[in-house]
Amino acid sequence: MTKITQTRRGFLQTAAIAGAAGLTGTFPGISWSAEGDTLTVRFDREMESLDPGFYVGGHPPNDVNWCIMPALVHFGMVDGQASWVPSPYVESVEVVDSTHIDFTLKQGLMWSNGFGEVTAEDVAYSYDRMTESEWKGDYVAYERTEVKDKYSGTIILNQPFAPFMNLTLASGTGIILCKKATEEAGGKYTIEPPATCGPYVMEHKQAQYVRLRPNPDWTGPLPAFANIDCIFVTDSEAGALAFEAGELDCAKITSTSYARYLKETPPGAALTVAGALQYMWMGINIENPKLSDIRVRKAIQRAVDIDSIVQGAYSGTAEPSYGIICPGLVGKRDAAGYSYDPAEGKALMDEAGVSGLNLTLRTLNSPERLLAAQIIQVNLAQIGVTVEIIPLDSGPFWEMGQESKGDTYKDMELWIMRFGAGPDPYEATQWFIRDQVGVWNWERWSSDEFEELYKQGIGETDQAKRHEVYVRMQEIMEETGGYVWLTHEPEVFIHRDDIDAKFAPSGEMQMAYFAPK
Amino acid sequence: MWWYLLKRLGLSVVIVLMAIAALFVMLHSIPGDPVSIALGPRATPEIQAAYAEKMHLDQPLAFQFLIFVGNVLQGDLGTDVFSNRSVGLTLSEQLPYTITLAVAALGWAIALGIPLGCLSAIWPNSWIDRVTGVLSVGTIAVPSFLVSIWAILIFAISLRWLPVLGAGDEGDIIDQLRHLILPAFAVGLGWVGYLARMVRASMLEVMGENYIRSARAFGLTSRMVVFRYALPVAVLPTITLIGVGFGGLLSGTVFAEIIFSRPGIGRIIYDMVLARNFPVVQGAVLVTIVLYVVVTLIADIIVSWLDPRVRDSL
Repeated sequence: MTKITQTRRGFLQTAAIAGAAGLTGTFPGISWSAEGDTLTVRFDREMESLDPGFYVGGHPPNDVNWCIMPALVHFGMVDGQASWVPSPYVESVEVVDSTHIDFTLKQGLMWSNGFGEVTAEDVAYSYDRMTESEWKGDYVAYERTEVKDKYSGTIILNQPFAPFMNLTLASGTGIILCKKATEEAGGKYTIEPPATCGPYVMEHKQAQYVRLRPNPDWTGPLPAFANIDCIFVTDSEAGALAFEAGELDCAKITSTSYARYLKETPPGAALTVAGALQYMWMGINIENPKLSDIRVRKAIQRAVDIDSIVQGAYSGTAEPSYGIICPGLVGKRDAAGYSYDPAEGKALMDEAGVSGLNLTLRTLNSPERLLAAQIIQVNLAQIGVTVEIIPLDSGPFWEMGQESKGDTYKDMELWIMRFGAGPDPYEATQWFIRDQVGVWNWERWSSDEFEELYKQGIGETDQAKRHEVYVRMQEIMEETGGYVWLTHEPEVFIHRDDIDAKFAPSGEMQMAYFAPK
Repeated sequence: MWWYLLKRLGLSVVIVLMAIAALFVMLHSIPGDPVSIALGPRATPEIQAAYAEKMHLDQPLAFQFLIFVGNVLQGDLGTDVFSNRSVGLTLSEQLPYTITLAVAALGWAIALGIPLGCLSAIWPNSWIDRVTGVLSVGTIAVPSFLVSIWAILIFAISLRWLPVLGAGDEGDIIDQLRHLILPAFAVGLGWVGYLARMVRASMLEVMGENYIRSARAFGLTSRMVVFRYALPVAVLPTITLIGVGFGGLLSGTVFAEIIFSRPGIGRIIYDMVLARNFPVVQGAVLVTIVLYVVVTLIADIIVSWLDPRVRDSL
């Protein structure tokens, strides 16, 4: 089994590595593979939009965009760690200082549909456009792009922003659009990009497939697989069965399938953990009268046995969590500030003078979450808390803590929550600042120190200091008694063992980099 | 006959209109805010507001309903909120796959179920009747999704005889037929049992009628009695059942479309309900309602043509 780790490489440090090594991106193949040599992968949902400014994000739009659209940088491996590397579209990318990034595009990269060469003007247009988009949060530090000549320019930030290379440029929102074509299309598009430039061209049939075929106009390095068929298989178990039937070369699988395959991996198959950028916790509403005494909340923290949840609900495949910062990222804690100790929890309940407490625990109705909820139910019974589990469909679940959706937030007591994260701690912390109370901060606390550290973390480029900032932010969260850290669920793929599969830290497939071993 | 047709058509229009209203109310009664579900936890309030405006979700429910009905009457089923594609275009791509699957599934079920029912009725309490009875109950009782998974495990994973994903390459009829076998088998298996039971019961009833006894007394062969006089009458309730069943399969093939990753109306409804993509769900369900009504209408017309007595029963 392969495990991909990622780290927040130093903003300047990584640039120095890339520059010193003279790295420029390249796809693994030296020529197109033989006729019929097609990579077939699973897409777990239909694409709503490919426009980086207005898409829902993540998989599968990013998987496709990275095959058909230019970008300055891609995710790659530097010193065994996932980090940004210059893409095959550039001669160079250099971080000059904490607010300036120079780039030079390769010449002769042509847009489809007769829109000419990819130019620095396109880069400037694409990033300027993002500041007005639905994803402008990724571009919070972006000031402008200064175009030097047809192929080169300088990206200028309005403040040092440590996550810029990995969170902004290397992620799906960092792709470059054709200025002329996009403007002619009215400034935005959905699933039919007005112009593409990449090793592949796309054919999309709704609810069936995305087919990536060789781009005859592509002059850059060639991927190993000439053709890629992406089949929409929404059901995870159906995806696993299709892999076993030999109809898929790579498929994302669930924790349940992962546990099964760990015990007995099918012949010719390999498992890759592409990252664990998910963080799950049990939230506690600190404003609820039943839970307003912090001793009760701390008792609950100490009564939940995380190891039992990892084993019982996730068959040992998930990693215990100690905060909201995911494995491999700066700020990841090595331990929580409390540990499983039901005796101490009972003592805290006695000290608070609380007995016969009845609480509700709301959770999404997925098998893993329900199992986790049942384990918590048994755990809390040990300190005299009776838990009623309320399983919910995704509809009512995702709006229950939002003030704008009604008064349910007032009745909330305990809930199991999971967020996905980007490859930078900044992204995870943004949901817990003061402005998010009643939006996504359902635990309903706020702290001046947390707010200050949040701003500090964005601009800090010293990795050691950043680590301290984010560790402290998680300590503040934990001290509210509003959080019981649970797990980091992995993104796991099963694929043919004769394929070198590449994934972004956020769990998307980098299909152009897949290659036969 | 013409008066019957007119009344039946009028009834169909009323049914469709009532179904549209019920559908609209049900969709908007689903717990949960479609905006937060569709956009997930990353969405900012600005993104949510833009999405709500795009879907008219910021308008009163009655206004949304009027917009929908007005558009439907103009043949506009709306626009997919994510892809901006025409819902009508999306559904026109999906519908042939569902119809093909439904026809194939019911087709083989009819081809097997009706003869089995006839044989059971002709030789009641024989070994054929008993075996058919056991198999009928068995196939009805086993859930179709279980049959699907079993079929995949045996024929796709172990034997690797048949493909499991998709609907096959366009233009390659053989490939498409190979992709059709497992889902059609899974969807149709239960119907073999239903049809065999239904035909057997009807045939037994008809075979006891006086006119059948008279036919035998006139010395007609058993083959002629069964196929010329008994079966056309006994099959009438079966035609109605097939009509209702076919209509149901237009959206009821969803499990096969999901497990076998086939395109189709059922699957698109399932996916879009999860995504709270209301325009596509409304359009797809509306199409299945209309088709359902049309199919049952055709079945009723066939029955009224075969048996004029039912023309007075509406």
